Amino acid sequence: MNRALQEMSYCLNGPGNCTDMTVLERQRARVRWQQSYFGGCDFGGVFSEPSQADQVGNFQDLVVGGDGSSVLDDVLTHSVKPDPGLESGWLELGRLELPKMGFGSGGSMNGSPTGLEMNSSISKTSSCPPTEAQSAPEAKGKVSVPAEKMSSAAGRDSSKKRKADKMQNTKVFAEDDAKDKRSKACAEEGESKITTEQARTKNNTSTPTTNNRETSADSPKENSKASEVQKPDYIHVRARRGQATDSHSLAERVRREKISERMKYLQDLVPGCNKITGKAGMLDEIINYVQSLQRQVEFLSMKLAAVNPRLDFNIDDLFAKETIPACSADFPTIGMSSEMTNPAYLQFNPVQQVAACCGFEMGLNSPDMALRRPLSALPEPYLDASCFTQLQPPPTWDADLQNLLNLEFHQEKSISFPYQPFTGSIEASNLKMEI
Amino acid sequence: MRSPSSLKQEFLKRWMRGLQRCTSSSKKDMNILERKKVIKLSADLAMASARNGKTSWSRALIANASRDNDNRILAERILGPESDILIKRVSTSVGTVSCNRKIRSKKILKRSCNSVRRVRKGTHLPHQKVLAKSIAKRLVQKRTQILKRLVPGGEFMDELSLIEETLDYITYLQAQVDVMRCIASATELKNRNND
Repeated sequence: MNRALQEMSYCLNGPGNCTDMTVLERQRARVRWQQSYFGGCDFGGVFSEPSQADQVGNFQDLVVGGDGSSVLDDVLTHSVKPDPGLESGWLELGRLELPKMGFGSGGSMNGSPTGLEMNSSISKTSSCPPTEAQSAPEAKGKVSVPAEKMSSAAGRDSSKKRKADKMQNTKVFAEDDAKDKRSKACAEEGESKITTEQARTKNNTSTPTTNNRETSADSPKENSKASEVQKPDYIHVRARRGQATDSHSLAERVRREKISERMKYLQDLVPGCNKITGKAGMLDEIINYVQSLQRQVEFLSMKLAAVNPRLDFNIDDLFAKETIPACSADFPTIGMSSEMTNPAYLQFNPVQQVAACCGFEMGLNSPDMALRRPLSALPEPYLDASCFTQLQPPPTWDADLQNLLNLEFHQEKSISFPYQPFTGSIEASNLKMEI
Repeated sequence: MRSPSSLKQEFLKRWMRGLQRCTSSSKKDMNILERKKVIKLSADLAMASARNGKTSWSRALIANASRDNDNRILAERILGPESDILIKRVSTSVGTVSCNRKIRSKKILKRSCNSVRRVRKGTHLPHQKVLAKSIAKRLVQKRTQILKRLVPGGEFMDELSLIEETLDYITYLQAQVDVMRCIASATELKNRNND
């Protein structure tokens, strides 16, 4: 379709001659557009098509007998009402220029040899403001300058639009309307892919930004997450082939992708969620898990309250006398210990023990696993280590911890663990109380 | 995310500190329920303060704790010297909660308008698919409502942030459960050994 357009423009360009003023104007504008366009303006491919469609419509007016192809006819029938803010600016220019140029106008905005480029560059820039080409203040400045040069009220409106803050509703509405209308044309043409390809081929310099996604109605929070552009106000999306390019559906799709990404994280976190794929099922599992965790917290705090009549949790005391070796594959804790000075170390030691112990516990959370854990005899080194839980000078402690860790690390996690006899009973008691 | 062990360490530290502050100041003996409340509250606040107001649920926890008067004193004691700053920060975000309410009502309005608009546009799917879709949507909505009630401070969030908050909250709950279980078992052991 585009090629047909290009051919047409070439044909029509042949005989005619554009007036100097328009050519100069257009060349200047073109230079600026190109600058802005290579300056990182990310173009939604959505809008290039309709702008061309509009221009083709203008052709059609001039071309005698409407000898355009059937494609053109389709385009005409589906041509959309121009965006009040922007397109009319270009269109008016087109209409203004065309009578002067006669057939030679060809690409309505085309300077003679550069007609095609102009065409595409215009289409690019016309897509620029609605996509709210970001940050690039240069883009804004440069695009607004040619607009003003065109000196149409519509042009001024469009520049205002570009300068407008994204949060202003009017802009959003205009954008939405424009997008809706354009997307209708696009969707019916099924041209989204082609335009995106065209945009992509011409958009090499701004490909880094193509990963951004566009939404007009997203919350500021999501926009602030956007990232790569200077002012992360907008994320730009490419409409995929065969998918609706409605702004609403684009935003929806972005939102849905984000949600599914987060759900994947949740799947990793919540045990037993791997087989469930639907959102409702996943949510169900999550709810159950959160509820069970909350209930556990309630129960455990009750238990702690019962066990401790005076609420005096003296951790040093607790772990000095207890045989809870700090065995787990929690190397970070050991790393921490080696960094600390002695007093700090002694203070944190119990903390690490608890953390390490909890790290172990986390690995074997379910009572089933606890039951299955084999109760092997305590090997000698562990007994010695347990004796060492009395306050020891740090170096030996470190060595012991390292030993335990190494041993633990080399063994399988689910198998024999030093405080087997104790934990057997502990788990059993836990089971009793939890059931 | 953060490593679970560092999370637990942090939690434990703060929790113990808060408990000590609480028990040192109160002279009388508390009954079991009170103790349980204190334990739970201190644990919650410990974690919430560890997040330093970055996550919404932590702020909501602190806000809830400081809302009831009798809890407030306890909470302040537990939080210790930094309580003023924290509560101030939370109260400013509580202001956003009321804004969130406004936003929420606006969203509901918008959603209803959108749904009306969409219905008018008409769907191209056969009836069964439409039915299935609506059922699925309703299920998901119901569940999101439940989840919103579960996660503290979750009522005013949109789905995406709700899921993030849930992620964070779940990691916190897991850490809390593990630490508590460990300490419970240790104290039990100690008591058993002492007897």
